[in-house]
Amino acid sequence: MSKKQFYHTVVQTDSITVILSEMNLTQEERIHLSHIMESSLHHAILDAILSELSDTDKKLFLKELADDDHDAVWKFLKEKIDGIEDRIVKVSDDLKKELHEDVKKVKNDKEKN
Amino acid sequence: MHDLTEDPKNVRIVIMPFPTSPSPSSDYQKLHALFSDRHRSIKERLLTKHKDSVEWIMKNMPAKEHIAAGSLSGLLLFTPPVVGTSLTPDATSQSPEAPILKKETFLITDLASLLPDQVSPLTPDQEATISGVLSREYGFSVKPEIDGIRLNRTYGYIGAEQHLMRYPGDTMASHFATADEAFSYGRSGMAPGRGAWGYFTTSKYEMTQKDIDREKYYLAVQTFLAPGFNENVKKYVDFFKYRKMLVVNPQNGKAMVVVIGDAGPAQWTGKHLGGSPEVMKYLERVDGRAKGPVLYFFIDDPDDKIPLGPITL
Repeated sequence: MSKKQFYHTVVQTDSITVILSEMNLTQEERIHLSHIMESSLHHAILDAILSELSDTDKKLFLKELADDDHDAVWKFLKEKIDGIEDRIVKVSDDLKKELHEDVKKVKNDKEKN
Repeated sequence: MHDLTEDPKNVRIVIMPFPTSPSPSSDYQKLHALFSDRHRSIKERLLTKHKDSVEWIMKNMPAKEHIAAGSLSGLLLFTPPVVGTSLTPDATSQSPEAPILKKETFLITDLASLLPDQVSPLTPDQEATISGVLSREYGFSVKPEIDGIRLNRTYGYIGAEQHLMRYPGDTMASHFATADEAFSYGRSGMAPGRGAWGYFTTSKYEMTQKDIDREKYYLAVQTFLAPGFNENVKKYVDFFKYRKMLVVNPQNGKAMVVVIGDAGPAQWTGKHLGGSPEVMKYLERVDGRAKGPVLYFFIDDPDDKIPLGPITL
């Protein structure tokens, strides 16, 4: 399982994990794909956050992140970005939707064959 | 062994080792391809948009801190936590602390933002900017043109060349210094004729390390298509003969200092230049349908101080 990130209090990826468990995958393959998914999510969320911060605040945010204090990260982000939780949830939902489409595509292709 | 944690240019991420799966399922292969494509585009967007932030981290936060914090190594996932592209032995045997972000990453990003989408000739502005980036990164003068002479292009598809005879009687049996070299590069074979400049030296006994390196690290470029070539053949041949160049694979940041050792390939091949077996292997370029582009610029090195061979940032 990936390391717990500060946004895991508002973002869940269970739905993708559940769908993957229904596919014809070994445990290792499922874990591997889950890691790619988690990494994509992490990049997308960080992109969204950094895009909203000034240069100075980006550095402060990265320092907070390095300290790995989730409460401090949330406190900082809430002060700097209006509706940050909703934004993160939206980024996550959009990505999950795309990943669901990927899974659906593979399932459909399989049924056709 | 060099301790990467001491080098702020390198960031590590703990990679969960996966058991080897000798025959990944069809579902896995398809999903992996789709997920990986998406992941690649997301991470490239992050790296491109927030390059300054990444550089700041690399400069101001020691690698040890990244590792300890965990979250920063997460931030710097410029390669997936699954470093390999598939669940293969190569991908699964990564060291738990493999380096994932090197200085080449920034060069790759810089070049990606400057190069055209298609592999086409660069405009003068693009050439100026890119040669500026390369000069800055490698610390020597890289130019598309010297003394008013230039090649037909500076960005194009590279194909595989064969070994060249360095002296009369040089054969595949005499060509390699070690068995490892013969094993690694022997299969490319030797061109039946001499290179455009003839033999590199007159005999085996006269051969110097410089001659050996020139054959080992050579490009074949379309000298005959250089603007003005037909009007000034001798002048241009003198200029191009063993002219030092920098060749860069913009997709992995690997670069080599090479010489122009031959002329070619023909226009009909669809390739714009060729690389010796050693060049192709190092740059991780291949011939055929999987061929890829490289950048190739002159190096202004009148005192011949820059050695031939692989070069790192």
